[in-house]
Amino acid sequence: MPRLTTHLQLILALAVTLVLPLVMQSGSLATEVLIYALAVLGCNLLLGYTGLLSFGQGIFFGMGSYTVGILLTRSGLPLPVALVAAVVVGALAALLVGWFAIRQRGTYFVMLTLAFSQLFYFLAYSLPDLTGGDNGLLDVPRPAIGVGGHELLSLASPWQFYALVAASFFLVFWLLLRITNSVFGRTLLAIRDNEARAAAVGYNVRLFKLAVFALSGAVTALAGAFLAIMTGIAPLSSIEYHTSEMILVMTVIGGTGNLFASVLGAAFYVLFSDWLSSLWPRWLMLLGFLLIAVSLFMQKGLWGLGERIWLAVRRKGTPGHAPKSTENGS
Amino acid sequence: MTPGPTTDTALLQARGVTKRFGKFVALHEVTLNVMPRTVHSVIGPNGAGKTTLFHTLTGTLQASAGSVIFDGHDVTGEPDHVRVQRGIARSFQVTSLFANLSVRENLRLAAQGVHRKGAFNCWHRPDGVRAHTEVVDHVLERMELQRLTDVAAGSLSHGQQRRLEVGMALAARPKAIFLDEPTSGMGVDDLEGMKRLIRGLREDHTVVLIEHNMNIVMDISDTITVMQQGRVLVEGRPDAIRNDARVRTAYLGNMITGGGA
Repeated sequence: MPRLTTHLQLILALAVTLVLPLVMQSGSLATEVLIYALAVLGCNLLLGYTGLLSFGQGIFFGMGSYTVGILLTRSGLPLPVALVAAVVVGALAALLVGWFAIRQRGTYFVMLTLAFSQLFYFLAYSLPDLTGGDNGLLDVPRPAIGVGGHELLSLASPWQFYALVAASFFLVFWLLLRITNSVFGRTLLAIRDNEARAAAVGYNVRLFKLAVFALSGAVTALAGAFLAIMTGIAPLSSIEYHTSEMILVMTVIGGTGNLFASVLGAAFYVLFSDWLSSLWPRWLMLLGFLLIAVSLFMQKGLWGLGERIWLAVRRKGTPGHAPKSTENGS
Repeated sequence: MTPGPTTDTALLQARGVTKRFGKFVALHEVTLNVMPRTVHSVIGPNGAGKTTLFHTLTGTLQASAGSVIFDGHDVTGEPDHVRVQRGIARSFQVTSLFANLSVRENLRLAAQGVHRKGAFNCWHRPDGVRAHTEVVDHVLERMELQRLTDVAAGSLSHGQQRRLEVGMALAARPKAIFLDEPTSGMGVDDLEGMKRLIRGLREDHTVVLIEHNMNIVMDISDTITVMQQGRVLVEGRPDAIRNDARVRTAYLGNMITGGGA
Protein backbone atom coordinates (compact mmCIF):
# COMPACT_ATOMS: atom_id res chain seq x y z
CA MET A 1 0.00 0.00 0.00
CA PRO A 2 1.49 3.36 -0.93
CA ARG A 3 2.53 5.70 1.85
CA LEU A 4 0.09 8.37 0.67
CA THR A 5 -2.89 6.14 1.33
CA THR A 6 -1.53 5.33 4.78
CA HIS A 7 -1.25 8.97 5.75
CA LEU A 8 -4.62 9.72 4.25
CA GLN A 9 -6.22 6.98 6.32
CA LEU A 10 -4.60 8.24 9.50
CA ILE A 11 -5.81 11.78 8.80
CA LEU A 12 -9.32 10.52 8.03
CA ALA A 13 -9.43 8.53 11.28
CA LEU A 14 -8.32 11.57 13.25
CA ALA A 15 -10.88 13.72 11.43
CA VAL A 16 -13.68 11.34 12.35
CA THR A 17 -12.82 11.47 16.05
CA LEU A 18 -12.78 15.28 15.92
CA VAL A 19 -15.82 15.80 13.70
CA LEU A 20 -18.21 13.46 15.52
CA PRO A 21 -18.52 15.75 18.60
CA LEU A 22 -19.14 18.74 16.34
CA VAL A 23 -21.98 17.27 14.33
CA MET A 24 -23.66 14.96 16.83
CA GLN A 25 -25.82 15.78 19.77
CA SER A 26 -25.60 12.45 21.53
CA GLY A 27 -22.23 11.63 23.03
CA SER A 28 -23.30 8.02 23.54
CA LEU A 29 -24.14 7.56 19.88
CA ALA A 30 -20.82 9.07 18.82
CA THR A 31 -19.02 6.77 21.25
CA GLU A 32 -20.96 3.82 19.90
CA VAL A 33 -19.71 4.61 16.40
CA LEU A 34 -16.08 4.40 17.52
CA ILE A 35 -16.69 1.32 19.67
CA TYR A 36 -18.10 -0.60 16.74
CA ALA A 37 -15.39 0.82 14.50
CA LEU A 38 -12.89 -0.93 16.79
CA ALA A 39 -14.79 -4.22 16.54
CA VAL A 40 -14.99 -3.90 12.76
CA LEU A 41 -11.27 -3.20 12.52
CA GLY A 42 -10.71 -6.50 14.32
CA CYS A 43 -12.97 -8.29 11.87
CA ASN A 44 -11.35 -6.61 8.87
CA LEU A 45 -7.94 -7.93 9.94
CA LEU A 46 -9.33 -11.43 9.51
CA LEU A 47 -11.62 -10.96 6.54
CA GLY A 48 -9.86 -8.27 4.53
CA TYR A 49 -6.23 -8.97 5.28
CA THR A 50 -6.14 -12.72 5.80
CA GLY A 51 -9.26 -13.93 3.99
CA LEU A 52 -10.84 -15.52 7.08
CA LEU A 53 -14.62 -15.22 7.46
CA SER A 54 -15.17 -15.49 11.21
CA PHE A 55 -18.59 -15.77 12.80
CA GLY A 56 -16.92 -15.81 16.19
CA GLN A 57 -16.25 -12.09 16.70
CA GLY A 58 -19.13 -11.87 19.18
CA ILE A 59 -17.24 -14.25 21.46
CA PHE A 60 -14.37 -11.82 21.84
CA PHE A 61 -16.70 -8.82 22.05
CA GLY A 62 -18.68 -10.51 24.81
CA MET A 63 -15.57 -11.67 26.65
CA GLY A 64 -14.37 -8.06 26.72
CA SER A 65 -17.72 -6.92 28.15
CA TYR A 66 -17.77 -9.60 30.81
CA THR A 67 -14.15 -9.11 31.81
CA VAL A 68 -14.53 -5.41 32.61
CA GLY A 69 -18.00 -6.07 34.03
CA ILE A 70 -16.70 -8.63 36.51
CA LEU A 71 -13.55 -6.71 37.39
CA LEU A 72 -15.22 -3.32 37.88
CA THR A 73 -18.19 -4.63 39.87
CA ARG A 74 -16.23 -6.96 42.12
CA SER A 75 -12.61 -5.94 42.39
CA GLY A 76 -12.45 -2.17 42.34
CA LEU A 77 -9.44 -2.30 40.05
CA PRO A 78 -8.71 0.93 38.16
CA LEU A 79 -10.40 1.22 34.78
CA PRO A 80 -7.22 1.09 32.64
CA VAL A 81 -6.23 -2.17 34.31
CA ALA A 82 -9.67 -3.64 33.62
CA LEU A 83 -9.37 -2.58 29.97
CA VAL A 84 -5.96 -4.21 29.61
CA ALA A 85 -7.32 -7.36 31.24
CA ALA A 86 -10.19 -7.40 28.73
CA VAL A 87 -7.70 -7.10 25.85
CA VAL A 88 -5.64 -10.00 27.22
CA VAL A 89 -8.71 -12.19 27.79
CA GLY A 90 -9.93 -11.39 24.27
CA ALA A 91 -6.59 -12.40 22.79
CA LEU A 92 -6.53 -15.63 24.79
CA ALA A 93 -10.10 -16.53 23.79
CA ALA A 94 -9.15 -15.86 20.17
CA LEU A 95 -6.07 -18.06 20.50
CA LEU A 96 -8.27 -20.88 21.80
CA VAL A 97 -10.91 -20.52 19.07
CA GLY A 98 -8.26 -19.93 16.43
CA TRP A 99 -6.23 -22.95 17.51
CA PHE A 100 -9.10 -25.19 16.46
CA ALA A 101 -10.72 -23.19 13.67
CA ILE A 102 -7.63 -22.59 11.51
CA ARG A 103 -7.12 -26.32 11.18
CA GLN A 104 -9.83 -26.17 8.56
CA ARG A 105 -10.39 -23.93 5.57
CA GLY A 106 -13.40 -22.52 3.78
CA THR A 107 -16.80 -23.78 4.86
CA TYR A 108 -15.51 -25.84 7.77
CA PHE A 109 -13.55 -22.94 9.16
CA VAL A 110 -16.72 -20.83 9.10
CA MET A 111 -18.72 -23.66 10.71
CA LEU A 112 -16.15 -24.00 13.50
CA THR A 113 -16.29 -20.29 14.34
CA LEU A 114 -20.10 -20.54 14.32
CA ALA A 115 -19.99 -23.55 16.63
CA PHE A 116 -17.67 -21.78 19.06
CA SER A 117 -19.94 -18.76 18.95
CA GLN A 118 -22.89 -20.90 20.12
CA LEU A 119 -20.74 -22.69 22.65
CA PHE A 120 -19.55 -19.50 24.33
CA TYR A 121 -23.09 -18.09 24.33
CA PHE A 122 -24.46 -21.06 26.23
CA LEU A 123 -21.43 -21.08 28.48
CA ALA A 124 -22.20 -17.47 29.46
CA TYR A 125 -25.88 -18.33 29.82
CA SER A 126 -25.21 -21.26 32.13
CA LEU A 127 -22.80 -19.45 34.45
CA PRO A 128 -25.14 -16.88 36.04
CA ASP A 129 -22.90 -16.45 39.11
CA LEU A 130 -20.20 -15.08 36.89
CA THR A 131 -22.09 -13.46 34.02
CA GLY A 132 -25.50 -12.71 35.44
CA GLY A 133 -26.98 -15.21 32.97
CA ASP A 134 -30.02 -13.92 31.15
CA ASN A 135 -29.97 -10.55 32.92
CA GLY A 136 -26.35 -9.82 32.22
CA LEU A 137 -24.03 -8.01 34.62
CA LEU A 138 -25.78 -4.90 35.87
CA ASP A 139 -24.48 -1.68 37.37
CA VAL A 140 -21.02 -1.73 35.84
CA PRO A 141 -19.45 1.43 37.30
CA ARG A 142 -17.53 4.02 35.32
CA PRO A 143 -14.78 5.16 37.68
CA ALA A 144 -12.69 8.20 36.85
CA ILE A 145 -9.19 7.69 35.55
CA GLY A 146 -6.54 8.89 37.94
CA VAL A 147 -3.06 8.36 39.26
CA GLY A 148 -2.47 7.91 42.98
CA GLY A 149 -5.76 9.45 44.05
CA HIS A 150 -5.49 12.42 41.65
CA GLU A 151 -8.32 12.45 39.19
CA LEU A 152 -7.07 12.95 35.64
CA LEU A 153 -10.20 12.38 33.65
CA SER A 154 -13.68 12.05 35.03
CA LEU A 155 -15.82 9.86 32.81
CA ALA A 156 -19.13 11.00 34.25
CA SER A 157 -20.48 12.73 31.15
CA PRO A 158 -20.94 10.98 27.80
CA TRP A 159 -18.49 13.32 26.07
CA GLN A 160 -15.82 12.73 28.69
CA PHE A 161 -16.14 9.02 28.06
CA TYR A 162 -16.09 9.75 24.35
CA ALA A 163 -12.69 11.40 24.80
CA LEU A 164 -11.27 8.22 26.33
CA VAL A 165 -12.74 5.99 23.61
CA ALA A 166 -11.64 8.38 20.84
CA ALA A 167 -8.06 8.45 22.12
CA SER A 168 -7.99 4.66 22.41
CA PHE A 169 -9.55 4.27 18.99
CA PHE A 170 -7.00 6.51 17.36
CA LEU A 171 -4.13 4.72 19.08
CA VAL A 172 -5.44 1.31 17.97
CA PHE A 173 -6.06 2.57 14.44
CA TRP A 174 -2.49 3.85 14.21
CA LEU A 175 -1.08 0.59 15.60
CA LEU A 176 -3.11 -1.52 13.19
CA LEU A 177 -2.10 0.68 10.26
CA ARG A 178 1.50 0.15 11.24
CA ILE A 179 1.00 -3.60 11.58
CA THR A 180 -0.87 -4.04 8.29
CA ASN A 181 1.89 -2.17 6.46
CA SER A 182 4.66 -4.16 8.12
CA VAL A 183 6.47 -7.23 6.84
CA PHE A 184 4.01 -9.27 8.90
CA GLY A 185 0.95 -7.50 7.46
CA ARG A 186 2.17 -7.89 3.90
CA THR A 187 2.66 -11.58 4.52
CA LEU A 188 -0.97 -11.79 5.62
CA LEU A 189 -2.00 -10.38 2.23
CA ALA A 190 0.08 -13.08 0.58
CA ILE A 191 -1.66 -15.76 2.66
CA ARG A 192 -5.04 -14.31 1.69
CA ASP A 193 -4.03 -14.47 -1.95
CA ASN A 194 -2.55 -17.97 -2.05
CA GLU A 195 -2.09 -20.08 1.03
CA ALA A 196 -0.36 -23.00 -0.71
CA ARG A 197 2.26 -20.74 -2.23
CA ALA A 198 2.78 -18.89 1.04
CA ALA A 199 3.61 -22.21 2.73
CA ALA A 200 5.79 -23.26 -0.20
CA VAL A 201 7.98 -20.15 0.06
CA GLY A 202 8.54 -20.80 3.75
CA TYR A 203 5.79 -19.15 5.80
CA ASN A 204 4.17 -21.00 8.68
CA VAL A 205 0.64 -20.17 7.60
CA ARG A 206 -1.03 -21.49 10.76
CA LEU A 207 1.18 -19.43 13.01
CA PHE A 208 0.38 -16.29 11.04
CA LYS A 209 -3.34 -17.02 11.18
CA LEU A 210 -3.13 -17.67 14.90
CA ALA A 211 -1.28 -14.39 15.47
CA VAL A 212 -3.82 -12.38 13.51
CA PHE A 213 -6.64 -14.15 15.33
CA ALA A 214 -5.19 -13.11 18.68
CA LEU A 215 -4.78 -9.54 17.46
CA SER A 216 -8.35 -9.49 16.18
CA GLY A 217 -9.64 -10.93 19.46
CA ALA A 218 -7.77 -8.32 21.49
CA VAL A 219 -9.13 -5.37 19.51
CA THR A 220 -12.67 -6.77 19.48
CA ALA A 221 -12.60 -7.38 23.24
CA LEU A 222 -11.53 -3.76 23.79
CA ALA A 223 -14.64 -2.69 21.88
CA GLY A 224 -16.85 -4.97 23.99
CA ALA A 225 -15.26 -3.62 27.16
CA PHE A 226 -15.95 -0.01 26.17
CA LEU A 227 -19.57 -0.79 25.35
CA ALA A 228 -20.12 -2.42 28.75
CA ILE A 229 -18.59 0.59 30.52
CA MET A 230 -20.62 3.03 28.46
CA THR A 231 -23.98 1.33 28.95
CA GLY A 232 -23.19 0.21 32.50
CA ILE A 233 -24.21 -3.32 31.66
CA ALA A 234 -22.52 -6.42 30.22
CA PRO A 235 -25.55 -8.08 28.63
CA LEU A 236 -25.85 -11.65 27.40
CA SER A 237 -26.63 -10.22 23.97
CA SER A 238 -23.06 -8.96 23.58
CA ILE A 239 -21.76 -12.53 23.31
CA GLU A 240 -24.69 -13.61 21.17
CA TYR A 241 -24.37 -14.80 17.60
CA HIS A 242 -26.21 -11.65 16.52
CA THR A 243 -23.24 -9.52 17.60
CA SER A 244 -20.91 -11.56 15.39
CA GLU A 245 -23.29 -11.14 12.50
CA MET A 246 -23.63 -7.40 13.05
CA ILE A 247 -19.85 -6.91 13.13
CA LEU A 248 -19.49 -8.93 9.92
CA VAL A 249 -22.23 -6.93 8.18
CA MET A 250 -20.57 -3.65 9.15
CA THR A 251 -17.26 -4.95 7.84
CA VAL A 252 -18.72 -5.94 4.49
CA ILE A 253 -20.70 -2.71 4.10
CA GLY A 254 -17.62 -0.62 4.80
CA GLY A 255 -15.36 -2.63 2.53
CA THR A 256 -12.40 -4.86 3.25
CA GLY A 257 -9.74 -3.15 1.16
CA ASN A 258 -8.32 -0.98 3.91
CA LEU A 259 -8.70 -0.04 7.55
CA PHE A 260 -10.58 3.22 7.21
CA ALA A 261 -13.31 1.39 5.32
CA SER A 262 -14.08 -0.32 8.64
CA VAL A 263 -14.72 3.04 10.29
CA LEU A 264 -17.06 3.95 7.45
CA GLY A 265 -18.93 0.66 7.81
CA ALA A 266 -19.39 1.02 11.54
CA ALA A 267 -20.41 4.69 11.34
CA PHE A 268 -22.88 3.99 8.58
CA TYR A 269 -24.48 1.02 10.37
CA VAL A 270 -24.73 2.66 13.77
CA LEU A 271 -26.04 6.01 12.54
CA PHE A 272 -28.30 4.56 9.86
CA SER A 273 -29.90 2.06 12.22
CA ASP A 274 -30.34 4.73 14.90
CA TRP A 275 -32.10 6.97 12.43
CA LEU A 276 -34.22 4.26 10.81
CA SER A 277 -35.28 2.58 14.04
CA SER A 278 -36.90 5.81 15.11
CA LEU A 279 -38.84 5.95 11.83
CA TRP A 280 -39.88 2.35 11.29
CA PRO A 281 -39.73 -0.66 13.58
CA ARG A 282 -39.00 -3.00 10.66
CA TRP A 283 -35.89 -1.08 9.65
CA LEU A 284 -33.76 -4.23 9.61
CA MET A 285 -35.48 -5.15 6.36
CA LEU A 286 -33.98 -2.08 4.69
CA LEU A 287 -30.59 -3.17 5.94
CA GLY A 288 -31.23 -6.47 4.19
CA PHE A 289 -31.79 -4.66 0.91
CA LEU A 290 -28.65 -2.64 1.42
CA LEU A 291 -26.60 -5.77 2.05
CA ILE A 292 -27.98 -7.32 -1.15
CA ALA A 293 -27.02 -4.19 -3.06
CA VAL A 294 -23.50 -4.23 -1.62
CA SER A 295 -23.04 -7.90 -2.40
CA LEU A 296 -24.29 -7.52 -5.96
CA PHE A 297 -23.00 -4.16 -7.08
CA MET A 298 -20.37 -2.75 -4.76
CA GLN A 299 -18.23 -5.50 -3.37
CA LYS A 300 -15.60 -3.05 -2.25
CA GLY A 301 -18.18 -1.53 0.06
CA LEU A 302 -18.67 2.13 0.90
CA TRP A 303 -14.95 2.81 0.59
CA GLY A 304 -14.96 1.35 -2.92
CA LEU A 305 -18.00 3.46 -3.80
CA GLY A 306 -16.23 6.57 -2.52
CA GLU A 307 -13.17 5.68 -4.56
CA ARG A 308 -15.27 5.30 -7.69
CA ILE A 309 -17.00 8.63 -7.16
CA TRP A 310 -13.66 10.33 -6.50
CA LEU A 311 -12.20 8.93 -9.72
CA ALA A 312 -15.26 9.98 -11.70
CA VAL A 313 -15.04 13.53 -10.34
CA ARG A 314 -11.34 13.73 -11.13
CA ARG A 315 -11.92 12.43 -14.64
CA LYS A 316 -14.44 15.19 -15.25
CA GLY A 317 -12.16 17.79 -13.74
CA THR A 318 -9.17 16.97 -15.93
CA PRO A 319 -10.41 15.85 -19.35
CA GLY A 320 -8.03 13.74 -21.39
CA HIS A 321 -6.22 12.44 -18.32
CA ALA A 322 -7.38 8.96 -17.60
CA PRO A 323 -6.73 8.28 -13.92
CA LYS A 324 -4.38 5.46 -13.07
CA SER A 325 -6.25 2.40 -11.99
CA THR A 326 -5.49 1.49 -8.41
CA GLU A 327 -5.64 -2.26 -8.40
CA ASN A 328 -4.93 -3.06 -4.82
CA GLY A 329 -6.80 -6.29 -5.18
CA SER A 330 -9.39 -6.78 -2.51
CA MET B 1 20.66 -50.02 -14.20
CA THR B 2 23.82 -47.93 -14.43
CA PRO B 3 25.67 -47.88 -11.14
CA GLY B 4 24.94 -44.57 -9.47
CA PRO B 5 27.51 -42.46 -7.63
CA THR B 6 28.04 -43.12 -3.94
CA THR B 7 25.14 -42.06 -1.78
CA ASP B 8 27.06 -40.17 0.89
CA THR B 9 27.85 -37.33 -1.48
CA ALA B 10 24.23 -36.94 -2.53
CA LEU B 11 22.49 -33.67 -1.58
CA LEU B 12 19.14 -35.37 -1.40
CA GLN B 13 18.39 -38.98 -0.62
CA ALA B 14 15.02 -40.64 -0.65
CA ARG B 15 15.24 -44.01 1.08
CA GLY B 16 12.41 -46.43 0.50
CA VAL B 17 9.80 -43.66 0.35
CA THR B 18 6.28 -45.06 0.33
CA LYS B 19 3.11 -43.02 0.11
CA ARG B 20 -0.31 -44.54 0.63
CA PHE B 21 -3.67 -42.84 0.16
CA GLY B 22 -5.97 -45.20 2.01
CA LYS B 23 -5.42 -48.55 0.32
CA PHE B 24 -3.94 -47.04 -2.81
CA VAL B 25 -0.14 -47.13 -2.89
CA ALA B 26 0.98 -44.10 -4.89
CA LEU B 27 4.68 -44.58 -4.19
CA HIS B 28 6.27 -47.93 -3.50
CA GLU B 29 9.66 -47.82 -1.77
CA VAL B 30 11.18 -45.22 -4.03
CA THR B 31 14.90 -44.69 -3.58
CA LEU B 32 16.54 -41.71 -5.20
CA ASN B 33 19.92 -40.00 -4.87
CA VAL B 34 20.27 -36.49 -6.21
CA MET B 35 23.85 -35.36 -6.64
CA PRO B 36 24.78 -31.70 -6.04
CA ARG B 37 25.03 -29.34 -9.02
CA THR B 38 23.18 -31.66 -11.37
CA VAL B 39 19.86 -31.60 -13.14
CA HIS B 40 18.06 -34.74 -12.04
CA SER B 41 14.85 -35.42 -13.92
CA VAL B 42 12.00 -37.69 -12.96
CA ILE B 43 9.82 -38.80 -15.83
CA GLY B 44 6.96 -41.19 -16.33
CA PRO B 45 3.39 -41.25 -17.58
CA ASN B 46 0.52 -39.68 -15.66
CA GLY B 47 -0.21 -41.74 -12.59
CA ALA B 48 3.38 -42.95 -12.30
CA GLY B 49 3.68 -41.07 -9.00
CA LYS B 50 5.96 -38.25 -10.14
CA THR B 51 3.98 -35.47 -8.53
CA THR B 52 3.40 -37.49 -5.35
CA LEU B 53 7.14 -38.07 -5.13
CA PHE B 54 7.70 -34.37 -5.69
CA HIS B 55 5.32 -33.51 -2.85
CA THR B 56 6.89 -35.95 -0.41
CA LEU B 57 10.35 -34.57 -1.22
CA THR B 58 9.32 -30.92 -0.79
CA GLY B 59 7.21 -31.61 2.29
CA THR B 60 3.74 -30.80 0.97
CA LEU B 61 2.87 -34.44 1.69
CA GLN B 62 4.31 -36.60 4.44
CA ALA B 63 5.72 -39.98 3.43
CA SER B 64 3.87 -43.01 4.86
CA ALA B 65 7.17 -44.88 5.23
CA GLY B 66 10.82 -44.41 4.38
CA SER B 67 12.92 -41.31 4.91
CA VAL B 68 14.07 -38.19 3.12
CA ILE B 69 17.56 -36.92 3.90
CA PHE B 70 18.48 -33.45 2.68
CA ASP B 71 21.91 -31.93 3.11
CA GLY B 72 22.69 -34.30 5.97
CA HIS B 73 19.41 -33.69 7.83
CA ASP B 74 16.53 -36.10 8.15
CA VAL B 75 13.65 -33.92 6.94
CA THR B 76 11.06 -36.69 6.67
CA GLY B 77 8.79 -35.28 9.37
CA GLU B 78 9.18 -31.63 8.46
CA PRO B 79 6.39 -29.69 6.71
CA ASP B 80 7.15 -27.69 3.56
CA HIS B 81 7.70 -24.33 5.24
CA VAL B 82 10.41 -25.83 7.46
CA ARG B 83 12.15 -27.54 4.55
CA VAL B 84 12.37 -24.15 2.84
CA GLN B 85 14.64 -23.03 5.70
CA ARG B 86 16.90 -26.02 4.91
CA GLY B 87 17.38 -24.85 1.33
CA ILE B 88 14.57 -26.51 -0.60
CA ALA B 89 12.49 -24.39 -2.95
CA ARG B 90 9.82 -25.45 -5.40
CA SER B 91 7.72 -24.32 -8.32
CA PHE B 92 4.19 -25.45 -9.04
CA GLN B 93 2.90 -27.40 -12.01
CA VAL B 94 -0.21 -25.26 -12.18
CA THR B 95 0.93 -21.66 -11.83
CA SER B 96 0.44 -20.62 -8.23
CA LEU B 97 1.37 -17.01 -7.58
CA PHE B 98 0.13 -14.17 -5.40
CA ALA B 99 -2.08 -13.01 -8.25
CA ASN B 100 -3.16 -9.68 -6.75
CA LEU B 101 0.35 -8.66 -5.76
CA SER B 102 3.01 -7.15 -8.01
CA VAL B 103 5.83 -9.18 -9.56
CA ARG B 104 8.33 -7.51 -7.25
CA GLU B 105 6.19 -8.18 -4.18
CA ASN B 106 5.84 -11.84 -5.19
CA LEU B 107 9.61 -12.21 -5.33
CA ARG B 108 10.17 -10.20 -2.15
CA LEU B 109 7.80 -12.54 -0.30
CA ALA B 110 9.67 -15.53 -1.68
CA ALA B 111 13.01 -14.06 -0.60
CA GLN B 112 11.62 -13.18 2.85
CA GLY B 113 10.18 -16.65 3.42
CA VAL B 114 13.62 -18.09 4.11
CA HIS B 115 14.12 -15.71 7.04
CA ARG B 116 11.42 -16.96 9.35
CA LYS B 117 11.95 -14.58 12.24
CA GLY B 118 11.98 -11.43 10.15
CA ALA B 119 8.62 -12.38 8.70
CA PHE B 120 6.96 -11.68 12.06
CA ASN B 121 8.20 -8.11 12.13
CA CYS B 122 4.98 -6.25 12.94
CA TRP B 123 6.52 -2.84 13.08
CA HIS B 124 8.58 -2.08 10.01
CA ARG B 125 7.66 -1.83 6.39
CA PRO B 126 9.44 -4.16 3.99
CA ASP B 127 11.90 -1.50 2.87
CA GLY B 128 15.67 -1.12 3.18
CA VAL B 129 17.29 -4.49 3.87
CA ARG B 130 13.83 -5.96 4.36
CA ALA B 131 13.06 -5.30 0.68
CA HIS B 132 15.66 -7.93 -0.36
CA THR B 133 16.31 -5.70 -3.35
CA GLU B 134 19.53 -7.39 -4.44
CA VAL B 135 18.08 -10.89 -4.62
CA VAL B 136 14.84 -9.70 -6.20
CA ASP B 137 16.63 -7.64 -8.86
CA HIS B 138 18.90 -10.56 -9.66
CA VAL B 139 15.94 -12.89 -10.18
CA LEU B 140 14.04 -10.26 -12.20
CA GLU B 141 17.01 -9.98 -14.54
CA ARG B 142 17.53 -13.70 -14.82
CA MET B 143 13.84 -14.31 -15.54
CA GLU B 144 13.70 -11.32 -17.90
CA LEU B 145 10.90 -9.73 -15.95
CA GLN B 146 12.59 -6.36 -15.22
CA ARG B 147 10.03 -4.38 -17.14
CA LEU B 148 7.11 -5.94 -15.33
CA THR B 149 8.07 -5.31 -11.69
CA ASP B 150 4.93 -3.34 -10.84
CA VAL B 151 2.47 -5.48 -12.78
CA ALA B 152 0.15 -7.72 -10.78
CA ALA B 153 1.24 -11.34 -11.19
CA GLY B 154 -2.28 -12.26 -12.27
CA SER B 155 -2.04 -9.92 -15.27
CA LEU B 156 1.11 -11.49 -16.75
CA SER B 157 1.01 -13.63 -19.88
CA HIS B 158 1.20 -17.38 -19.41
CA GLY B 159 4.87 -17.55 -20.41
CA GLN B 160 5.74 -14.71 -18.04
CA GLN B 161 3.85 -16.40 -15.23
CA ARG B 162 5.77 -19.62 -15.82
CA ARG B 163 9.04 -17.69 -15.57
CA LEU B 164 7.92 -15.95 -12.39
CA GLU B 165 6.90 -19.36 -11.06
CA VAL B 166 10.50 -20.54 -11.41
CA GLY B 167 11.74 -17.17 -10.16
CA MET B 168 9.79 -17.65 -6.92
CA ALA B 169 11.87 -20.72 -6.23
CA LEU B 170 15.11 -18.93 -7.16
CA ALA B 171 14.40 -15.97 -4.88
CA ALA B 172 14.80 -18.23 -1.86
CA ARG B 173 18.42 -18.81 -2.96
CA PRO B 174 17.98 -22.50 -2.25
CA LYS B 175 20.46 -25.33 -2.41
CA ALA B 176 17.98 -27.43 -4.36
CA ILE B 177 15.26 -26.27 -6.71
CA PHE B 178 12.34 -28.56 -7.39
CA LEU B 179 10.53 -27.80 -10.62
CA ASP B 180 7.19 -29.44 -11.33
CA GLU B 181 6.68 -29.41 -15.11
CA PRO B 182 7.98 -25.86 -15.56
CA THR B 183 7.16 -25.90 -19.26
CA SER B 184 3.55 -27.01 -18.92
CA GLY B 185 1.34 -25.10 -21.32
CA MET B 186 4.27 -23.13 -22.72
CA GLY B 187 4.44 -22.16 -26.38
CA VAL B 188 7.29 -23.38 -28.58
CA ASP B 189 8.85 -19.91 -28.53
CA ASP B 190 9.20 -19.83 -24.76
CA LEU B 191 10.34 -23.43 -24.52
CA GLU B 192 13.94 -22.98 -25.65
CA GLY B 193 14.43 -20.11 -23.24
CA MET B 194 13.14 -22.18 -20.34
CA LYS B 195 15.43 -25.06 -21.26
CA ARG B 196 18.45 -22.78 -21.33
CA LEU B 197 17.40 -21.35 -18.02
CA ILE B 198 17.06 -24.71 -16.29
CA ARG B 199 20.39 -25.85 -17.66
CA GLY B 200 21.95 -22.65 -16.33
CA LEU B 201 20.54 -23.17 -12.84
CA ARG B 202 22.97 -26.05 -12.41
CA GLU B 203 25.83 -23.61 -11.90
CA ASP B 204 24.54 -22.49 -8.51
CA HIS B 205 21.89 -25.00 -7.57
CA THR B 206 20.84 -28.60 -7.68
CA VAL B 207 17.76 -29.11 -9.81
CA VAL B 208 15.11 -31.78 -9.47
CA LEU B 209 12.88 -31.64 -12.48
CA ILE B 210 9.56 -33.40 -12.90
CA GLU B 211 8.74 -33.50 -16.58
CA HIS B 212 6.34 -34.95 -19.00
CA ASN B 213 8.01 -33.61 -22.08
CA MET B 214 10.71 -36.13 -23.07
CA ASN B 215 12.58 -33.80 -25.41
CA ILE B 216 13.30 -31.29 -22.71
CA VAL B 217 14.51 -33.92 -20.27
CA MET B 218 16.90 -35.59 -22.72
CA ASP B 219 18.68 -32.35 -23.57
CA ILE B 220 19.24 -30.86 -20.18
CA SER B 221 19.43 -33.68 -17.63
CA ASP B 222 22.48 -35.24 -16.03
CA THR B 223 20.48 -38.10 -14.59
CA ILE B 224 17.03 -39.37 -15.41
CA THR B 225 14.82 -41.49 -13.21
CA VAL B 226 11.97 -43.22 -14.99
CA MET B 227 8.94 -44.04 -12.87
CA GLN B 228 6.08 -46.39 -13.55
CA GLN B 229 3.15 -47.21 -11.30
CA GLY B 230 4.72 -45.75 -8.20
CA ARG B 231 8.07 -47.50 -8.61
CA VAL B 232 11.43 -46.57 -10.04
CA LEU B 233 11.76 -48.43 -13.33
CA VAL B 234 15.20 -47.29 -14.44
CA GLU B 235 17.71 -44.62 -13.54
CA GLY B 236 20.65 -43.44 -15.61
CA ARG B 237 22.17 -40.93 -17.99
CA PRO B 238 19.96 -39.61 -20.80
CA ASP B 239 21.61 -41.69 -23.54
CA ALA B 240 21.32 -44.84 -21.45
CA ILE B 241 17.65 -44.13 -20.80
CA ARG B 242 17.01 -43.49 -24.46
CA ASN B 243 18.49 -46.86 -25.38
CA ASP B 244 17.17 -48.86 -22.45
CA ALA B 245 15.10 -51.74 -23.73
CA ARG B 246 12.80 -51.83 -20.72
CA VAL B 247 11.99 -48.17 -20.98
CA ARG B 248 11.36 -48.48 -24.71
CA THR B 249 9.25 -51.57 -24.57
CA ALA B 250 7.42 -50.53 -21.43
CA TYR B 251 6.09 -47.26 -22.61
CA LEU B 252 8.63 -44.79 -23.86
CA GLY B 253 7.51 -45.28 -27.41
CA ASN B 254 4.00 -44.30 -26.67
CA MET B 255 5.13 -41.38 -24.55
CA ILE B 256 7.07 -39.95 -27.44
CA THR B 257 4.12 -40.28 -29.74
CA GLY B 258 2.06 -38.73 -27.02
CA GLY B 259 -0.40 -41.58 -26.70
CA GLY B 260 -1.57 -43.28 -23.55
CA ALA B 261 0.29 -40.94 -21.24
